[in-house]
Amino acid sequence: MTTANDVLSALQSAFPGTVEEAKIGPERQLWATIKPDKIVDVCKYLRDNHNFDHYSGAAGVDRIDEGLFEVTELLASHGAHQVVALLKVKTPRDSPSVKSLTGLYWNANWYEREIWEMLGINFEGHPELYPLLLSDELMGVWPWRKDYKGYPDYTTAERAIEMVTSEGYTEYSIPPTEAEIKAGAVPAERPKYPSFREREEMEIKGESEMILHMGPQHAVVPGPFLLDILVDGERVKKAFLDVGYIHKGIEKIMENRTYMQGIPITDRLCYMASLTNNEAYCGAVERLLGIEAPERAQYIRMILEELSRIQSHLLGTGEFLTLIGSAVFSPFLYMIIDREDVLSCIESVTGARINHSFVRFGGVRNDLPDGFKDMTLDVLKMVRQKTEEYKELFLSDSIYRKRMEGVGVLSQSEARRLGVSGPPLRASDTPYDMRRDDPYLLYKDMDFEVITRKEGDSKARVEVRLDEIFESCYIIEQCLDQIPSGPIMADKVPKRIKPDPGEAYYRVEDHRGEMGFFVVSDGSDKPAKVKARGPVYAYFQALPPLLEGVYIADVVAIAGSMDACTSEVDR
Amino acid sequence: MGISDVIPLPVAVDKELEKWTIWGRPLTDVWFTTTEKIHEIIDMGPIKNVLNWGRKNSLWFLMQPMGCCGVEMLVFGCPHYDCDRFGIFPRATPRQVDVMIISGYITRKYLPAIKNLWEQIPEPKWVMAIGECAISGGPFYDSYNIINDTSKFFPIDVFVPGCPPRPEKFIEGFRQLQEKIKQREDKRGY
Amino acid sequence: MVLSAITEFAAQEPKLYAFIIGLVGAAILASVINVAAMAVVWLERKVMGDLQGRYGPNRVGGRWGILQLGADAVKLFTKEDVIPRGADKPVYVWAPIVASATTMLVAGAMPFGAVIIDGKEIPLVVANMDISAFYVEAALSIMAISAFMAGWSSNNKYSMLGAFRGIARMIAYEVPMGICVISVAIMAHSLNLVEIVQAQDIWFAIAQPLGFVIFAIALITDLGRMPFDQTEAEEEIIAGYNTEYSGIRFGLLYFQEYNVMLLGSILLVLLYLGGWNGPVIPVISFISPMIWFFMKVLIVLVALIWVRVSLLRFRIDQVTDLGWKILLPLSMVNLAWAVVVGLYFA
Repeated sequence: MTTANDVLSALQSAFPGTVEEAKIGPERQLWATIKPDKIVDVCKYLRDNHNFDHYSGAAGVDRIDEGLFEVTELLASHGAHQVVALLKVKTPRDSPSVKSLTGLYWNANWYEREIWEMLGINFEGHPELYPLLLSDELMGVWPWRKDYKGYPDYTTAERAIEMVTSEGYTEYSIPPTEAEIKAGAVPAERPKYPSFREREEMEIKGESEMILHMGPQHAVVPGPFLLDILVDGERVKKAFLDVGYIHKGIEKIMENRTYMQGIPITDRLCYMASLTNNEAYCGAVERLLGIEAPERAQYIRMILEELSRIQSHLLGTGEFLTLIGSAVFSPFLYMIIDREDVLSCIESVTGARINHSFVRFGGVRNDLPDGFKDMTLDVLKMVRQKTEEYKELFLSDSIYRKRMEGVGVLSQSEARRLGVSGPPLRASDTPYDMRRDDPYLLYKDMDFEVITRKEGDSKARVEVRLDEIFESCYIIEQCLDQIPSGPIMADKVPKRIKPDPGEAYYRVEDHRGEMGFFVVSDGSDKPAKVKARGPVYAYFQALPPLLEGVYIADVVAIAGSMDACTSEVDR
Repeated sequence: MGISDVIPLPVAVDKELEKWTIWGRPLTDVWFTTTEKIHEIIDMGPIKNVLNWGRKNSLWFLMQPMGCCGVEMLVFGCPHYDCDRFGIFPRATPRQVDVMIISGYITRKYLPAIKNLWEQIPEPKWVMAIGECAISGGPFYDSYNIINDTSKFFPIDVFVPGCPPRPEKFIEGFRQLQEKIKQREDKRGY
Repeated sequence: MVLSAITEFAAQEPKLYAFIIGLVGAAILASVINVAAMAVVWLERKVMGDLQGRYGPNRVGGRWGILQLGADAVKLFTKEDVIPRGADKPVYVWAPIVASATTMLVAGAMPFGAVIIDGKEIPLVVANMDISAFYVEAALSIMAISAFMAGWSSNNKYSMLGAFRGIARMIAYEVPMGICVISVAIMAHSLNLVEIVQAQDIWFAIAQPLGFVIFAIALITDLGRMPFDQTEAEEEIIAGYNTEYSGIRFGLLYFQEYNVMLLGSILLVLLYLGGWNGPVIPVISFISPMIWFFMKVLIVLVALIWVRVSLLRFRIDQVTDLGWKILLPLSMVNLAWAVVVGLYFA
């Protein structure tokens, strides 16, 4: 089994003088600073020789005191070993420019686009540096820099100017804030690039082709995003995706709240998975502080996260059924009824239905109430029985099989190249699960299976989710048997959280895949940078290639089988 | 235009008629139109009450989950908190709805889209703002991308606070809207 | 006194009398049919709610929510009238009118039951035509034309897609439906719906089981119900052909869909399930056939709603596959069966 030390020594021998600083972090993490001109070669070497074939993401940090930008590339492996390589590249603040990794990893595309539009770092060799999340008005102001004058902004609504275009549509223009104008930070020349509509229209070639907007307002998929498909009759030729309609700027907001105040904000990252988001953030900060939660707290966290996984899979599968059936399709409503029972179990502990804010640094907020074990075991028995019925329903329903088999197939190599993770990756025959490959909490003591399927079509993805409900039930029962009594908060948690300067990266198995939080602290009581790497970002990036050549009716089916949650993409 | 256009009479007759008044109003003025009279009769009382009874008992809303409160909106139409009991029904196209529910954060990029959706809804129409983010920006009130004050752009009738509010609160919000329609106190003045 | 004046008028000018009676009957029929459509919508919302574990409307008009549809109708009547820019105005305005006219045309030729007076069964039908089975089945397909008109004229990509899907569906399923009607007529030796019912000593559903199944599937497709409602698939093409309709025009299109559902189920009962035949109930023998008829139609309606709630939706190419490759050959087989069996047992 390769360890971080092996990788480091191999790297140092292959590229002498390139590795500037290196550190072996806890839990098999390799932190290294690489010279900027050698980053592509180093990544290629790691990918070819040491199986680092999973590009997790990239984070850009603004070190304004040192006059530098840092870009950290996160590399991991799809099961060959458990090492995570975090390679840092420094570039001066006046003319920031980093070499792009899109030649090596296909899914580096959107991560680098986002860092460009938020921080202004130019990526050399990137095929399409266009805005992703921001509207055209905010281009060129680089909102996530530390000296951005347009934050905090309390007057957006007052400054808005309403205009009516020549076709009768209403448009708004919001001029810069007073702070920006006073500081003279308004760029006179905005960068010029073709807008989203223009880029689409360049692709229309034939007379019978038209662009169909599955516009921001969707009937059932939660969260607005714009999916334009170029259709010829009933077949799709190309798909375009525009996100950013609910971009709140969470990472910038979290830099201006204390660590404790940031916990409710991470809830709202993906509202159906708020407990795992909390867990990822608190785990990263616990690494910075060097504390660990006591055993009882870890068991409580595991129980609640698995319960949350059950309810999220029920809702996700139900929504998918409405997308291929209709909103009045009964099994969707039966799944909602079951989900309500699971939610009431969670609510008896945390007190809320959706945004819990339950996990704290060093423990959890509340203890389990009396009678929780009996209530939960009853609910789990009912969930098991109902899920058996749903599986049987799908196996025996011939319309369902006709709509789902062979639709949206992701082969194993394709799924790995596109960078998806979670149930879609496991449905394409890759057993990659954070609970097994990067164990956190007490999952290494639990006995469970990682569910995989071979076919990789939409039916396999739904089956993986339904089977995971059974595994979650089993894990919860084991936890309820083994849970010890004891404290729920660690002893030495400081009242004012001020970690020492450093960085931490923590990964959890979110309901939709691999979620990671990258937290940088500079010694004050507010973080210097928080980066949330969500799984649905990769799904959306992988959607346009998947949708080529299918029918219109299959577009919603494929998008639904991926179980999207737009809030996590836009953050 | 005058009577000399209809019957062959000299134009001087027209000029003379324009000077006459009766009950303080010039004789040749437009006294009332049929449409105005119909509106006045309807506004008087009983007919308007019947119309408002019909409108308040069958409010159809736009399926538009935007943020965290959107998940609660999906659940709102489902068995435990059934909204079909009150005649409330979700539709997918803005042409066939009466109520638009703002259930989440409005950002700069989405504001023109939602305003165009609002303008496509035929009258009579109402807006409900659900959740803190729709009312005042919520926990992201100081972000560069969030619209803080949605009531500047839409005439919001009912605000439902909470982050997110429970689906029972949605029902209460709709009941308040029904009361407002019945008492004719809604913002658009129907 | 009035009665004698009317009989005198009937004797003196028979043609004018028949014309006036026809007009009065048509007016009564039009209003009754639309009220029946409202009742079908109410039934659907209630039954759907029961099958999904919730109540349907139960606030408006008492515990059963009877006046819910009245509130819907009042609201739709007083909505703003919107005609989209660029829409084909005459076609846009006429599409809902064509839909309503179709249902009137169909309802005119259908018998709605019978009453027993002095031991003789008198069928209740407005226009007793000799070819009424064929006429009804052909007139039902004009609904698809109105859907196409609505979709085409709206100047909207979603509506156009819905309209094209509707036409593809109609073309694929008209042929099996027509062949099944002809098979029934062969066995009954007549195309008159009243005589078809009177010829059913054993139900045609038992004598031609294959035809029953094919006709039922083709009927569900023709009505545009699940699992064949691609023309108004809510998640893909927003609302299909009625995306741009609002107010009273939408109300007309929406109610006519349920109207046609009622008439289609009546057709199924008349052709295959024995119409109003049934043992005479002793005490209320006056309307005993009506009660049987009503019960059968109710069962067929509930079955249609049940199918809607339990099945997923096909893709449009799978729908046309089913129509051309499976239903059409099977209906030919059914025709042969009807000829052989009909001749043998004649």
